[in-house]
Amino acid sequence: MSGYLEGVLVVLAINVILAYAAFLPIVAGQLNLGIAGFMATGAYLSAYLTNAHGWLPLPAALAATILTAALGLVVAFPILRTRGIYLALATFAFGQVVVATILNLDAVGGAAGYPVATHLGFPAIAAAAAIVFVTLYCLFHTRFGLSVTAVSDDELVADQMGLSVRGLQTAAFTIGAGVAGLAGALQAHHFNYIEAQHFNVLLSIYVVLYVLLGGTQTIYGPLLGAAVFTLLPEVLRGSAQWRYVIFAALILALMTWRPQGVVTRGLLRRLVEWRRPSPAEAA
Amino acid sequence: MLAQQLVNGLMLGSVYALVAVAFTLTMGILKFLNFSIPGIFMIAGMCTWAMLKGGASLLVAIPAVLLLGALLSYGVERVTWRQMRGGDRFVPLVSSMAFLILLENLALIAWGSDQQRLILPFQSTSARIGDVVVGVPQLVGLALAVAVVWTLDRVLRRTRIGRAVRSIAEDAETATLLGVAVDRVVPLVFAIGGIFTALAGVLFSLNYQQASPFMGEEVALKGISAMVVGGMGNIWGAILGGLAIGVVETAAIHWFGARAVDIAVYGMLLAILFGRPTGLLGGDLAKGRA
Amino acid sequence: MNARPILALEAVSKSFGGLRVIEALSFAVLPGERVALIGPNGAGKTTAFDLITGVYPVDAGRILLDGADITRLPARKRIRAGLARTFQNIRLLPHLTVLENAMVAQYARSPSATGMLEPVNLTGNNRWRREARAALGEAGLAQYAEEPTGGMPYGIQKRIELVRALLAHPRVLLLDEPAAGLNPAETEALAAQLERISAQGVTLLVIEHDMHFIGAFCRRVVVLNFGCKIAECDPDAVGDDPRVREAYLGADTGLEAAHAA
Repeated sequence: MSGYLEGVLVVLAINVILAYAAFLPIVAGQLNLGIAGFMATGAYLSAYLTNAHGWLPLPAALAATILTAALGLVVAFPILRTRGIYLALATFAFGQVVVATILNLDAVGGAAGYPVATHLGFPAIAAAAAIVFVTLYCLFHTRFGLSVTAVSDDELVADQMGLSVRGLQTAAFTIGAGVAGLAGALQAHHFNYIEAQHFNVLLSIYVVLYVLLGGTQTIYGPLLGAAVFTLLPEVLRGSAQWRYVIFAALILALMTWRPQGVVTRGLLRRLVEWRRPSPAEAA
Repeated sequence: MLAQQLVNGLMLGSVYALVAVAFTLTMGILKFLNFSIPGIFMIAGMCTWAMLKGGASLLVAIPAVLLLGALLSYGVERVTWRQMRGGDRFVPLVSSMAFLILLENLALIAWGSDQQRLILPFQSTSARIGDVVVGVPQLVGLALAVAVVWTLDRVLRRTRIGRAVRSIAEDAETATLLGVAVDRVVPLVFAIGGIFTALAGVLFSLNYQQASPFMGEEVALKGISAMVVGGMGNIWGAILGGLAIGVVETAAIHWFGARAVDIAVYGMLLAILFGRPTGLLGGDLAKGRA
Repeated sequence: MNARPILALEAVSKSFGGLRVIEALSFAVLPGERVALIGPNGAGKTTAFDLITGVYPVDAGRILLDGADITRLPARKRIRAGLARTFQNIRLLPHLTVLENAMVAQYARSPSATGMLEPVNLTGNNRWRREARAALGEAGLAQYAEEPTGGMPYGIQKRIELVRALLAHPRVLLLDEPAAGLNPAETEALAAQLERISAQGVTLLVIEHDMHFIGAFCRRVVVLNFGCKIAECDPDAVGDDPRVREAYLGADTGLEAAHAA
């Protein structure tokens, strides 16, 4: 495989992981605009473990994932007392604070960036993306996926029907944080360099937007969203800026005419029916 | 020293105040967090630079940019808010974010990513009040910001159109039933917000003699913090919040260096959201407690 | 009464702001009973339900479920204890299919981490799915299982809500105007279904306005007005009670007019 193609696939894999990090909270009704902050946390933690303590990259990434999830859990307690737009604002503020804090930590390079000693190649990253997809696929299809959707639809009814609204929201938020941390760790070890300024609010916005573009009704939406976002410049061969302009235009068009995203439950059903003719047709 | 910092902070704060007012208008009236505002702020600043560079006089450039701001904001309303009322509640927010991306990247395509320096067509003079030095343009900016917000407040509280706006803030459906032309008033609110935002962009670029395609992200986004600190939906809260953020930022730079700014500003936002979400002044646009 | 009530309210009171909506309300329901809760609009019937199921905390008084004090118990634990309900304004979940809506309440029967990780949508043959499908089938709703709930006819949605509540295997079922908006055929089907449920030992507490329906089905009626219990008797006697007449129609008029309406 050419180095160029491999590079694109790595970015795709990381974007897929990020997509699923944003997906679960969105299904729970939470718009996490601070996802880049969790990504940065995972990146810097993992990089630090390998740089300063000689860890191997895979264990470091795993540890970073768990620690970032722990941060998410801690932050979830105050943040999940807010709802809707306030929640989005709180996550936005949190993300900004995290990045700003990292900028002040000279031990990890501060504003100059942080070179990362150990490397993870494409196979490891692709495997991680696959594991994330399979894990979230299974999770989404358990009662957890059902319950989280219920909570986002109608908290009162979910509560009355016996679900722990707070518990489910916290779980979704925490898992999202951890997965974002994983994406950050993988990015750190593949590109061997991270800088805090990269993990800004615009990154969070891009992730949320391409997840919404793909659609959050099914488990496949985030995959499509990440693919479109990553492969658009390859298809268009324009400058990076034009890719974002087209992406933004796509989002505007989508929000106007199909706000539920491209992949919906209805679409999925029709695709399945089209490939597997009904008994009546087969007769 | 302290007084100088305070004054610098207030000057910066007047820019934040204008942006915060723009945010608080759509937030208070429509519960809509308008992420396109930083984009309009940036376009205003960049266009001011571009026009001055092209030899236009300020008397031409400023009104042109303000008009552009109003038009852009109106465009945002047509494409985001107008289409999406009644849909999923995040749709307008998401669309406004798309606008921010659109504007920032169009600016990057047009002008590149470098920070530009504005050459002022006038001599920048300073006034000296006691130990404190204030740039006259900045003083003018502060006075302008306060005047413009005061006017808005009066319009909201004393005029028919102001009552119409407040009735929409309270309950858009009822307002329609009572004969309020919501479809005409809402675009007007957006346009006013656009003018405020553009004015902030002009003032910032003139006062600090800089403009870049990232100034929306770097500067105007803090207007959100100012809005929340002052109290969402509260016009005077936006001024108070803006000035507070300006002072906090200046103090943070002075005592801790530039890297501490975001921690201070967004830390404040976080603290208010957790501790006192209604903000310092609380208040409700609908109730006229502006 | 020798038997212990399965549901009891003792001097329950509730105010919203300065407005007293429930005033020292006390009544009890025996296991297996069918009791109707009636009263004019605004009497506090749905609020009473909301207090029983924990939507709001009470200001004073106690609520007992089979002798256990559930006054401070969080709402989600009340359904797990066997207390389920339907809603006056139908509250189905728009992003879930009919089948999934029904399945939501099953968690109350196994409220644990393993219960939450049950792969209900992973394989087609999961036992919870099968059970929910069977329940829908019994209610005559099997063909709607995979449909989204939005846009369904009102009567169908009401029946789905009932199936949902039943899948929690409640001991006490609170029904908020189950017959409202149903045509006569649907009302008859509902009555038959409620008979079956009652025959299985489920206690029923029903808010209703349809006196025919109540008369045919319930043994006892509790009448509320302005948040107070003003009468408690059997359905036939309710129309004669002067206090009830006054509550619905003003003094000196008969409830026969309401019957005929």
